[in-house]
Amino acid sequence: MAGRVIVITSGKGGVGKTTTSANIGTALAKAGYKVVLIDTDLGLRNLDLLLGLENRIVYTIVDVIEERCKLRQALVKDKKNPNLSLLAAAQTRDKSAVNAEQLKEICDTLKEENDFVLIDCPAGIEQGFQNAVAGATEAIVVTTPEMSAIRDADRIIGLLEAKEEIKSYKLLLNRVRPSLIKSNDMMSVDDVVEILSCPLIGIIPEDTGIITSTNKGEPIVNDEDALAGKAYRNVAQRILGEEVPFLDLDEPKGFMAKIKNAFAKLKAKV
Amino acid sequence: MEKVLAENGFIIDLSDAKNTTQLVFELSSIMEHPEVKGKNVRLKLGNLDLKQSQLLSIKALIESMDATLAFIDTKSEQTEASAVSLGIIVSEVTDEPAIVCSSDADIKEESVMVKTEPHSESEPEEGKTVEVHAEELTGPIETAHDVEDVYDEETTKELSEIIPSEHFEADFESLAANEGLIKPEETSKYILLDTGDVLPVDAEENSINTETLPTLYINQTLRSGQTVSYDGNILIIGDAHPGSEIVAGGDITVWGILGGIAHAGSQGNVTSKVRALKLNAIQLRIAGLYARRNDTLNVPYVQKTNEFTPEEAQIEDGKIVIYKKLRRD
Repeated sequence: MAGRVIVITSGKGGVGKTTTSANIGTALAKAGYKVVLIDTDLGLRNLDLLLGLENRIVYTIVDVIEERCKLRQALVKDKKNPNLSLLAAAQTRDKSAVNAEQLKEICDTLKEENDFVLIDCPAGIEQGFQNAVAGATEAIVVTTPEMSAIRDADRIIGLLEAKEEIKSYKLLLNRVRPSLIKSNDMMSVDDVVEILSCPLIGIIPEDTGIITSTNKGEPIVNDEDALAGKAYRNVAQRILGEEVPFLDLDEPKGFMAKIKNAFAKLKAKV
Repeated sequence: MEKVLAENGFIIDLSDAKNTTQLVFELSSIMEHPEVKGKNVRLKLGNLDLKQSQLLSIKALIESMDATLAFIDTKSEQTEASAVSLGIIVSEVTDEPAIVCSSDADIKEESVMVKTEPHSESEPEEGKTVEVHAEELTGPIETAHDVEDVYDEETTKELSEIIPSEHFEADFESLAANEGLIKPEETSKYILLDTGDVLPVDAEENSINTETLPTLYINQTLRSGQTVSYDGNILIIGDAHPGSEIVAGGDITVWGILGGIAHAGSQGNVTSKVRALKLNAIQLRIAGLYARRNDTLNVPYVQKTNEFTPEEAQIEDGKIVIYKKLRRD
């Protein structure tokens, strides 16, 4: 078995790489696939917090590379899903502790025994990015509908295109606010896709539930009701090759809004 | 630890104490008992070598409890010399058959009746009981034979139940640390981690008394990503934030909130301890044992309050056990 190695990157910081990694990883594991998440953000690790696994980390990726432990020992199993495991970054070291070849070697080993290896890339385009991308054959570029994030995403796509190993890259648009798009205060999904001319793999609405889920260490895909969770589950299905329509974010939410909506549809029919 | 009741006085047998720390701790726990108030105290100190200053502290401790130090019984020459220079009488307390000393016949009878009951079989005839006056208690030699060997089992048992003295090693100088009792935490705050087959420590060889190790003193807050490692003990005045790591060959003491990873006895010293005003470490490691914080307690940041309950973690029966310092009110 040779699994797929996907890097999740963005260029700009704070657009949701880590949240995306945690949620897609959890969703794929829930679908029954064996998934390993690798945090390559050395010195600023967060993925363990989002998964609520911080207290279980004994060995990190640096310990594996410096041969203080075996790769198997450093993999931290998820609390709920045994299909999901995490290879944590070292908190007390920096990016220079690993190099691209070492990470590629780890990815190559892990993909033998797993369906998916997801790499959470650090922000920036320096060595951390180069390391993270080294072992990957696919990429998901996370961006938000803001000029700065799009500019950085464009830069990243350029770098990815220059890498022979990256066979495909897709765009994930995060923190979309339909109400702002409607009032022309935010770029629409179509605008972003047009600017970046990159195939889209998902649209994630802005959801306050993300903040709570991050603080609790519980990915939002585990919440059946959350819209962002549903959007991430759809992304996972698209990664698996299924055709899933994008969520209609314009649909009004709330009980009264739904009734209004139903009446409107009824009127239209009459 | 043995405490012998006699009318108007006590014999406290501390000859089992292995070091001054243990001695002071046991003595102070006995002295806290209300019965001791206003009594003469006779100390059995065994082979322990005590300096003049240490003996003076012991005397001060006894006097702080409204009791007086009558005389000491020691086998150590150094202690004897210290006592002589301080004007403390050195005498001998024998384990010979118990005899009540009393200045008042009524009290004597009462104490014989009540206290000697468990010993009635081995008890010599009552006629052997010798009466002496209270003043003579302070005198050497004679008084030694005038003491009722009454072992108040009940009281002693009670004391040993509340104070697991082997779990406590206070600094000799810091008598204040001995105030308040310590008991194991009820909840399972930490859960042991299976660390696989890598345990790079030799426990037997490295388990030395952490009191003898040098201490690194750090007067700042440790932030995420910062590591402090030292072969001896580490003392941090400030908080250790989540994401920080403290690795010590000996003990770790945090005068603040401990939120990161703490590894005491990193070279395998199983007697090492981790203590903090607020013990909230994401992981506690002592020698080769690693424990993670219970998921139900996974709050990344502790709310700062004015009141703390200092806690201490150590290895006990192959587990990491946390002791809490009780408030004394």
